[in-house]
Amino acid sequence: MSETTSNGNEYGFLIDASRCIDCRACLVACSVENEVPMETTRIWIQETGVQGEFPNLARFSAPYHCMHCDDPSCVSACTVGALQKGDDGIVTYDQDRCIGCRYCMYACPFQVPNYEWKEQLPLIVKCDMCVSRLSDGHSIPACAATCPTDAIIFGKKSDMLAEAHRRIDQNPGKFMNHVYGETENGGTATFYISPVPFAELGFPAADEASPAYFNRLVTHGTPTVAGAVAVGLSSVYLTIKHHAEATAQGVGAAHGQNQAGPNEAEGAVVGTAVPQNPDLPQAAQGQEA
Amino acid sequence: MLKKIIDEVKSLSIGYYILAVIAAAGLSVAGYRLYAGLGTTTNLSKAFPWGVWISFDLSTVAFSGGAFTLAALVYVFHLHELHSAVRPTVLVGLIGYASVLLILFMDLGRWDRFYHFLIYPNLNSALFEVSWCIMLYSTILIYELSPVLLKNSRWSGAIKIIEKWTIPMVIAGVTLSTLHQSSLGTLFIVMSPRLHALWHSMLLPVFFLISSLAAGLAMVIAGAILSYWIFKRTLAENVQAELAWFIPWILSIYLVLKVGELEITDELHLLFSSGKYSTLYLTELALLVVPLILFAIKRVRHSRGWSLTGAAFVLAGVVLNRFNASWFAIKPVAGEMYSPSWMEVAILIGVLATAVLAYSLIAHYFPLFEETVPVERPPKRQPSLAQTGD
Ligand code: SF4
Ligand code: SF4
Ligand code: SF4
Repeated sequence: MSETTSNGNEYGFLIDASRCIDCRACLVACSVENEVPMETTRIWIQETGVQGEFPNLARFSAPYHCMHCDDPSCVSACTVGALQKGDDGIVTYDQDRCIGCRYCMYACPFQVPNYEWKEQLPLIVKCDMCVSRLSDGHSIPACAATCPTDAIIFGKKSDMLAEAHRRIDQNPGKFMNHVYGETENGGTATFYISPVPFAELGFPAADEASPAYFNRLVTHGTPTVAGAVAVGLSSVYLTIKHHAEATAQGVGAAHGQNQAGPNEAEGAVVGTAVPQNPDLPQAAQGQEA
Repeated sequence: MLKKIIDEVKSLSIGYYILAVIAAAGLSVAGYRLYAGLGTTTNLSKAFPWGVWISFDLSTVAFSGGAFTLAALVYVFHLHELHSAVRPTVLVGLIGYASVLLILFMDLGRWDRFYHFLIYPNLNSALFEVSWCIMLYSTILIYELSPVLLKNSRWSGAIKIIEKWTIPMVIAGVTLSTLHQSSLGTLFIVMSPRLHALWHSMLLPVFFLISSLAAGLAMVIAGAILSYWIFKRTLAENVQAELAWFIPWILSIYLVLKVGELEITDELHLLFSSGKYSTLYLTELALLVVPLILFAIKRVRHSRGWSLTGAAFVLAGVVLNRFNASWFAIKPVAGEMYSPSWMEVAILIGVLATAVLAYSLIAHYFPLFEETVPVERPPKRQPSLAQTGD
């Protein structure tokens, strides 16, 4: 169902909720790296709240940022194509293009894109896998580089997915048997494993098919619909015109000319030639009242 | 010349002045919004990045659907007896679209780049398609209206040439309208995770298109009746009745499709089990069932008072539908809800006042309620038309 097919070169994340200690170093790192204030950072923490009964209390958390979907809804939605999915799997944002319509914010099933609400001329705030760092060939995104417990790891997408399954398989009972991001929204490049159900972490239950796919089903039909409507209207026009000319000479040909005047017959009679009434000034009718 | 204009302005009734003051106040707030940014002036948030402005845009575009519905009936289906309704309706359409464009401009965080949709296309985006269609269609509406504006002016010679191209332009206009009326529904297809299942449907574009036909016709009828009272000019009763005749048919198709789609996708049970959403949806249905019944009665179609009631129900039903799809039926994130700030509302009221003012002035000064060919006008009407002469 996805338009993008894997080329094996995509990057990806593996985020392990059992390792996250909610230190928020990743938030600071991202804020510094990308020069965005902390309140509109591209990454934030989802957490369960305190669970269980004293003394067996537990609280789980996980960093949360753009999933870099395989078939991203935001890319499909963006009016001006400011959001793009690259061959490396990164969903990038062109801040010189964005017109600030905020359609992407509604389109994203994970409610990822954030907005600089405080600015006079605001932009979208969204993780781009630190694409400018990656260009040197050996650096990794700031959040992954900073995380003290390796709760965020970064690498080839296929490796990340394999590692996610390996951890689940080799630690029976430790994780839920679900790699979040593997099928969500048609598959993503960010994989999560967690000891608790993802709903408890506040992750949305995204469908397996990306809404972008259904969107394309309709928008790709547009030229066909346009052509069909135009051709249909033209043929209706010509058919009725021809018919009218054949039956009552002169009537119907002078379209755009005055043929109105109140029609005696009630109801709509499609295709019937209208008797040409003497012009009755509308203004005069209004004055009767 | 200047003195004449001043005298003319002085002769206008108090209603125009009140509208002008409201418009000026609202538009000043709009100026402040452009300066200060969205965060300080609106209640929009990450959970609700769209608000009352988008709901207004959707409703207004639906209301303006009369222009293309009527153009199709008159020019394409040759129902020439309806021709007298075309001009006022095209004007309503044009002013409607102008208001939508103004509000859309307010809604763009980067309004300084509004033209980017012209140079950076994303063919997958419903919003891209809507923007283009609205822009092109507005130019066609100006074209369709130009004979009214040019008549009695020194360029009246151009009218002949303009009218020669009416049919191709009308067909282009109807095609563009079909596209953007439906694309406004497509907008919400990608929002399936947020929009409640009662509204989300693959048929959204069809629903939006059909309901815009009903809303457009209702607007023509309501407009004719109101201008009968305000401007003492209106449509012939039979024309109005004939327009109303279409409404029950359109509404029946719409309601059958809407409820039928719920049945097919196995969502019919949501109709009574979704609390607040059920209430909203059922209200929407009820608001449209009433005019369906009303306009099926011949006496109603021929009565001004009853027709206005029926039209008001259609308009209310369609407005509620648009507000539901873009606001009320958007599921909150983490309990966060949205309600507009006073500035969002003030800007809307200002734009509405501007729209009503523009319509009234044009109806006052231009031969809006007449036919394309000069008709014998009673001499009483002459003074108000003299303005464009010199
Ligand atoms: S998570 Fe949201 S913002 Fe990120 S790629 Fe997917 S749809 Fe786009
Ligand atoms: S807000 Fe910007 S990035 Fe988002 S859809 Fe609109 S133009 Fe595209
Ligand atoms: S990859 Fe870079 S931009 Fe994305 S959340 Fe991590 S630090 Fe921020």
